[in-house]
Amino acid sequence: MMEAKPNTIYRALDRKAAAITEFTMRQYRTKASTWVVLGVGLVAISLVMLIYVDVMSTGFESIDNDGDSEDPDGDGYPTGQENKYGTDPYMATSNPGLLTPSIEPEPASNYIDEDGFDISISGTAATQSTGYDDDGDCRESDRTNSQKDTNGNGIVCDIELRYNQYQGDWNIDSDRYVDEDPDDAAYAAEATHMAFVLGIGKMGFVLLLGMFLPLFLATGLIREEMNDGTMHFMLAKPIARTEVFLYRILGYLGIVWPYFIAIGLLFALISGFIGPSDSFFRFQDLGVWLAIIFATMMASFVYGMLFCALGTMWRFGIVLAIPFAAWELGMCIVSMGAPEAAILRFSVIGWALMIVDAAAVIVWPNMELFILQGRTMDDFGLIWSTSNALNFFYSEPGVGGSGLVSAVVATVILLVQGAVFWFVGGAIFKGKEIE
Amino acid sequence: MMPDFDQEGKGETQAWRPDLSAPAVLLEGVSKSYGRIFALSNITMALNGGVTGVLGMNGAGKSTMFKLLMGKLKPSQGKVRLFGTDPWKNPAPYARVGFVPEHEKMYDWMTAHQFVSTFARLNGLTRAEAMLEADRVLNFVGLADVAHKKIGQYSKGMRQRAKIAHALVNDPELIILDEPLQGCDPLARTTIMNVIRELGRMGRTVIVSSHILQEIERITEQIVILHNGRLLALGNLHAIREKLDQIPHRITIEADDAKALAKDVIDMDEVYGISFPDNKNLSIQTHNLGAIHAQLPAAIVNNGHRIHTIDNPDDDLASILGYLTSGGGL
Repeated sequence: MMEAKPNTIYRALDRKAAAITEFTMRQYRTKASTWVVLGVGLVAISLVMLIYVDVMSTGFESIDNDGDSEDPDGDGYPTGQENKYGTDPYMATSNPGLLTPSIEPEPASNYIDEDGFDISISGTAATQSTGYDDDGDCRESDRTNSQKDTNGNGIVCDIELRYNQYQGDWNIDSDRYVDEDPDDAAYAAEATHMAFVLGIGKMGFVLLLGMFLPLFLATGLIREEMNDGTMHFMLAKPIARTEVFLYRILGYLGIVWPYFIAIGLLFALISGFIGPSDSFFRFQDLGVWLAIIFATMMASFVYGMLFCALGTMWRFGIVLAIPFAAWELGMCIVSMGAPEAAILRFSVIGWALMIVDAAAVIVWPNMELFILQGRTMDDFGLIWSTSNALNFFYSEPGVGGSGLVSAVVATVILLVQGAVFWFVGGAIFKGKEIE
Repeated sequence: MMPDFDQEGKGETQAWRPDLSAPAVLLEGVSKSYGRIFALSNITMALNGGVTGVLGMNGAGKSTMFKLLMGKLKPSQGKVRLFGTDPWKNPAPYARVGFVPEHEKMYDWMTAHQFVSTFARLNGLTRAEAMLEADRVLNFVGLADVAHKKIGQYSKGMRQRAKIAHALVNDPELIILDEPLQGCDPLARTTIMNVIRELGRMGRTVIVSSHILQEIERITEQIVILHNGRLLALGNLHAIREKLDQIPHRITIEADDAKALAKDVIDMDEVYGISFPDNKNLSIQTHNLGAIHAQLPAAIVNNGHRIHTIDNPDDDLASILGYLTSGGGL
């Protein structure tokens, strides 16, 4: 016989790992059920993507928040223009056309969204005063300084950001006529885009793909072989069962990880081109997308170990996996509303979503103020509703510390969870009698 | 001093060193029970070298014994040792063992070559080594020409041979075959029997199970008989046969004129009874099967009888078992 070359025990381990991993991947490829599960996952998540594409391409209708685009006296001059020249917007015989030199009427659209948003998601909240009076109606020269500084912070025509240390959030207080008619469409597009990225990332990728793919693909990794009797072919060789367990999982990851990466990058590209941006592509979002892909990979790794262990434990392991999946779904919802809840520490999804949250905090550092600015509109319109949607999907990482620290902590804990489930699954498998 | 350039292939680290003094297979007072039902009870035996046939009806405990040996089941009582190591706790001795399970399900989507080479790598072989090894063992079992066909397209006999090839990877010292002949056509049967005999000649320890005495007879003389989980007999088939010759036996002859044949047969010393199950058949009771078989041809030919079949309905596993379990013992 040929002389094998297991010069070190590690090299022999590599060979076994590669053999079973390759075998498992090929086995997946030959099963129709694999393609059905992957296909259904792709279709489901693509439907959400289509909704996003539809919303973004339809666009958002702007609202004239301060009503100065209207022309109540019917003289052809919008209120904003009449205000600017000091004529009476309610009297047709008083309009800028009668001044010398005569002023041509401006289109009403000039007075919609004429005062843009000044709190940007990529800026910082370090300065307590921000804002700029884009249309100049606060800085009118005939106004007194006290009229220009209605928030009383000593700076005229600004927005004051006051940190409330008791409530742990920000108060936004702007001077009158500063940002009084913000750009709804721009805010809504930005907020909707970010809410979509976070929403599809958390619910679509981490929860739906990250959990349901392992549910259908990993539960039978060991169990099906035991039922069929084909496990004897593998276990008749000098290999420990815990090793078989691990390498089968590696084979499973070899199928689902490339799938996640491919779909994640595809979605990052689509949303990057479609999303609102100054340049042709939203490069800043890539960080969040990479975190979403990574979190999905980690979740599928931990769930794979767990579901495979449950399948090994009991012939109907999927029955045990379903209540767990329901628990994780609940935890996913909890993490959106209360990311600091202690109960989340006893879930997998809580930690996986923390990776996404951490990336969002790093990439969009001013998100809290951005959301707050929209929510203080109190008009229950476009800004308010998109801001609420964004607020639902965005949460600060619950462990405190910086985004990077949270991401590292969450990753380490997920790895530990996966390792624990591996040991448990391996121990269960070791104790199983195989008929 | 010159460095040792020829280090390649001379591994010093070996995870497990076989106990060379230990027998290949050792069972000591082994029982396996499922609740109150004993699949095996108090089996003690040691096997080393040669081909051993394990005989038993379906459900006698043959597969249970093999799975205990392969560490797939945990004994309820007693000690199982494979090359001196407990196979339930340590998979290392499988490096020296090949196992052909009874299960019919295989990976139908693989070719036999892929099947054998993939699992050969679990012995620590590299991909290239595993390919060569697969070529070797598939050639040994006579599947070389169809090695690259999908197992799903194989006949029953070819599938069994693919399983045997899988077991022969890494040239094991002990090969355990669970019902390798079941469901095979006569040609495949012969091929597989030749393979098993060849392995025996090569000095391997082979354990092969069957529920058909004639199959085992063609392979080996050393047999183990299991019945209802108990070890009934362990030894040479001829010794068992000789004992069998002394117990009551029946010979059934289908003849044109059964009554006329009866007259010629009744005079033989060893015949102690005759009956007619129906018009065409004659049934002879005897204690000495061998003597009757020696005299019968002459009696038939000399008296011009036309006969169609001669059958020993008792000369099978069931009758041996019946005799052994009725307190005869060996």
